[in-house]
Amino acid sequence: MVSDARPSRADYYRALAKTLPADALVVTSLGNASYLWAVVRHAPENFYFEDAMGLALPLALGLAIAQPTRRVVVVEGDGALMMHMGSLVTVGAVAPSNLTVLLIQNGVHAASGGQALTNPGLDLAQLARAAGIAHAKNVATPEALASEMGTASAGDGSQFLVLSTKPDVEVVRPPIALDPVMTKHRFMSAIGAPRYIPTMFGGGRLERA
Amino acid sequence: MDTSGEQSAASHRPSEILDTLKRLGFGAAIAVPDSWLGEILVRVEEEPGIRLVRATHEEEALAIACGSRLGGVRTAMFVQNAGLLSMGAGMVSLAQRYQFPLLMLVSYRGTVDDPVFYHVPKGRVTEPVLKGIGLPYAVADRGRPIGPQVEGAATYAEEASCPFALLLSQEDVQW
Repeated sequence: MVSDARPSRADYYRALAKTLPADALVVTSLGNASYLWAVVRHAPENFYFEDAMGLALPLALGLAIAQPTRRVVVVEGDGALMMHMGSLVTVGAVAPSNLTVLLIQNGVHAASGGQALTNPGLDLAQLARAAGIAHAKNVATPEALASEMGTASAGDGSQFLVLSTKPDVEVVRPPIALDPVMTKHRFMSAIGAPRYIPTMFGGGRLERA
Repeated sequence: MDTSGEQSAASHRPSEILDTLKRLGFGAAIAVPDSWLGEILVRVEEEPGIRLVRATHEEEALAIACGSRLGGVRTAMFVQNAGLLSMGAGMVSLAQRYQFPLLMLVSYRGTVDDPVFYHVPKGRVTEPVLKGIGLPYAVADRGRPIGPQVEGAATYAEEASCPFALLLSQEDVQW
């Protein structure tokens, strides 16, 4: 077997953990994208996907719009992106400058056991540029990722980094419970999101605490 | 009796929908258009307090809406019922699984009142599919003002922590 010289997801995650802005909100796609990030850097400001393949990127877009003063980093997979390629167009059109997309390009459906992708060799950075995301680059090392993380927030659109990655099909055991509703409430509490006051208490609106 | 001008303004149902969203503090609307929704989306886009996002697909729109609500913004969706059919997986494994309160304003095509024949296949399965995936919904009553029905749907979504679909007729939503 030929050895795979590409960095692992863990290599990139370690570089990300060191360079992540203190106020960043992190959205991770299903499978090891979430499980491993919970190992490397669990925080209340992480939103872990359980399933819903292909929807981490559009969810992060909505979050970036709602939280324009926070940096939003989303880790999405190449297979997931291909499921909802239209999301690229919407990100390109809305172009929030506080959104950083880290696209794990490993050429397989890693979360489901490593099945081949429809097209594993696409130039996804070029595709992102064609969709209107000017700041799209292919990245091949953790050092390059760390360097790029330091150049974001130029105020002129989203950042899209395609990370050439070795597939990881062995499931990582997360160190915390990944209950979806708990994840949501922990996240919303951490960012100080307004809460809904029921009509019985004269509410019917979202109110800040 | 009110003056005819006030009567006329009050009975413009799409205006009532928009006014209700503003009054309830909706800050975002995520949409995929159809012919009935075209103009109300333009009006939403002109509202300074509501951010309109035009998505490419309804399941994508659903995820954007979940992200917006996660970020603390009260969020509505405008989609056709075709979109309810095509967003099923995201509905159950994201919006319902994580209990996101979302107001879904849906143009209900393919009913007996819809003159466009090719919407019929969607119209006849819409409510059975909503029941099948456990998505609470109501068909808007054209005999009552639409504003309170939108408010009721929005309140249900928040107080039950789930998406709620209000199925709208042409006169409800076409500006």
